[in-house]
Amino acid sequence: MTRRCFVAEGTLAACACCALPAAHGSGSPAARGAAGIQGDARHVREALHYERIGERKVICRLCPHECRIADLERGTCGVRENRGGTYYTLVYGNPCSVHVDPVEKKPLYHYLPGTRAFSLATAGCNFVCRFCQNWEISQKRPEQVKSIDLPPPAVISAAARNGCRTVAHTYTEPVVFYEYMRDCAIEGRRRGIPSLMISNGYIQKKPLRELCRVIGGVKIDLKAFTESFYRDMCAGTLRPVLDALVVLKEEGVWFEIVVLIIPSLNDGETEIDRMTRWIHRELGADVPVHFSRYYPTFMLKNIPPTPPSLLRRARRIARENGLKYVYVGNLLSEEANTFCPSCGALLIARYGHSASIEGMKKDTCRACGEKIPGVFHLE
Amino acid sequence: MNGMRRRRFFLTLAGATASVARPPLAGADGEASTVVLCRHERLRRIQDDLDRDLARNFLDRALRVITGAADGPAAWRRLFAPGERVGLKLSCLAGRPLSSSRGLVAAIVSGLRSAGVKPGHITIWDRSDRELRNAGFAIGDDPVHVFGTDHLTGGGYSARVEIHRSVGTCFSRIMERVDALISVPVLKDHDIAGVSIGLKNFYGAIHNPNKFHGNRCDPYVADLCDHPLIRAKLRLTVCDASRVQVHNGPAFFPRYAWEYGGILVSRDAVALDDAGWRIIETRRRELGMQSLHAEGRRPTYIERAAALGLGRSGEGAVRFVELG
Repeated sequence: MTRRCFVAEGTLAACACCALPAAHGSGSPAARGAAGIQGDARHVREALHYERIGERKVICRLCPHECRIADLERGTCGVRENRGGTYYTLVYGNPCSVHVDPVEKKPLYHYLPGTRAFSLATAGCNFVCRFCQNWEISQKRPEQVKSIDLPPPAVISAAARNGCRTVAHTYTEPVVFYEYMRDCAIEGRRRGIPSLMISNGYIQKKPLRELCRVIGGVKIDLKAFTESFYRDMCAGTLRPVLDALVVLKEEGVWFEIVVLIIPSLNDGETEIDRMTRWIHRELGADVPVHFSRYYPTFMLKNIPPTPPSLLRRARRIARENGLKYVYVGNLLSEEANTFCPSCGALLIARYGHSASIEGMKKDTCRACGEKIPGVFHLE
Repeated sequence: MNGMRRRRFFLTLAGATASVARPPLAGADGEASTVVLCRHERLRRIQDDLDRDLARNFLDRALRVITGAADGPAAWRRLFAPGERVGLKLSCLAGRPLSSSRGLVAAIVSGLRSAGVKPGHITIWDRSDRELRNAGFAIGDDPVHVFGTDHLTGGGYSARVEIHRSVGTCFSRIMERVDALISVPVLKDHDIAGVSIGLKNFYGAIHNPNKFHGNRCDPYVADLCDHPLIRAKLRLTVCDASRVQVHNGPAFFPRYAWEYGGILVSRDAVALDDAGWRIIETRRRELGMQSLHAEGRRPTYIERAAALGLGRSGEGAVRFVELG
């Protein structure tokens, strides 16, 4: 089963396994999709980070698109709507996908490895990545997918019931359901279950800094290191993503970077070299970088899956540029393991999405005492 | 499953093109396109609606001008065959004051029936049941089908991604169920695109219109309408210009509404949009407002559509006929 099918088809079945109340099943008004969302006030909340500009128009200040939105229109994300000059999120507490995943699947390799993350997504995204694995939910409007009613307190309760140490906002683009994610993060922080944001990093600095006060960890997809790739393949821009990474560094939030390597589009040695030099210079040597394998899907089906050799070449370049924790992903490989950069000892062994702590004592290498960056224990 | 869908899709397209003896979009064959403006004080809205019989009368006259037929039913028959399934794509975003009016839609249905199109073969549709209801339409199947894309099972959009030029999207499955399309927009300004008339009306036929508003919707509107599912099926555009909004669309702003009392009719969707745009610009000048060009909202997608051969625009390319 492909990841896409898994996410798209498993949505409501997952709710059952999460032992959610019966009212959250597919028979509930919210889960009936189509007409449900627009008539369901529970999921419509005034949005954060927008500006009224008169004549019932608004400008969204959440993401760098800065959509200018007339009355009755939506932003490019498709989940935020202007109603009479007030801007609303339409997906608050209304995820269309809910699963229990290993945190390694996000992937986050240095954040509570070997634990489970209660993972959820609403419809919508502020990008149009032609290679999106989850386009059947990310490129849809809320009324076009089946969703359930799951407010933040219920998210945290379900996470606890399912033995999850974290809540991951993932699959689509959590920036577009910012208010829901933020409130989950606040509730989870209070109850000892931090939130993770699995994101494209296309967010303005102000909302990101506010989120950093409550979020536990972040994974950013750095999709390439050229503006042309972001423009042509994602309908976005690179610069704001780099700015967001710098903000995360400044705010001291744990974050990791994923680069999906697509043959012929973003796999050039020069591009990987420039990218990893920038990461080393601006973010430091300790930030984990994952080079992941692309598979054909959505609007990009004419390029074959990434050969493992390209991932290994990217990893080599990154290591030569001084990055200490560089992994290959979407591929069964020894390069998914964590080794001590000081003595070379195996610290965390991974096979697929499973992980086992082998050579660590708390957050240090058991062999040489090297401190390993990340979040390995919660206070 | 996908293979079945693809086969059905091509069969639908083939059926549509085979059953049409005339070119689906006029204006691309070198002759001047004809746009007919019906204008009469009784074509102004009363309680947000138009007089059906008067609208039918004007439609018949307009189609006689366009087709050269001797009478109304003959004109309708030149455009639609009795066995065809016809979809009327309305524009209902702005609620009853600024949506395709019930009277005009009823007049079109009446015209189709005069051509022998069966009521059960006529579908009046837009994005959602909710928007149709807000515009005053009752959802149902008797005598004609009236429903939104979201009325269909599974959300109503095809699971297949159609990639055409700059557009990647899933079409409303209603598009696959009809042989011919009539676009029934309203004449209004659009805060981003400049104007929203017959071409942009098809943003309501795809699942992700929010992705195509960059650069004033150019080239996206043109590229979308160039897709075979629209290009091969769009037979007629009937624009409700009974009330025109000249600024701040697409929602209804009484302050910018103009009781124009008009209906625009053309087989050339590009020519009609071009004519509608000029009507809006003229009124803006009269009101002392800036042109759309000066506001940075020139609807360049219309010229783009003309360049793609979807129709004609500009002086000399369009025969403009006014009926009063």
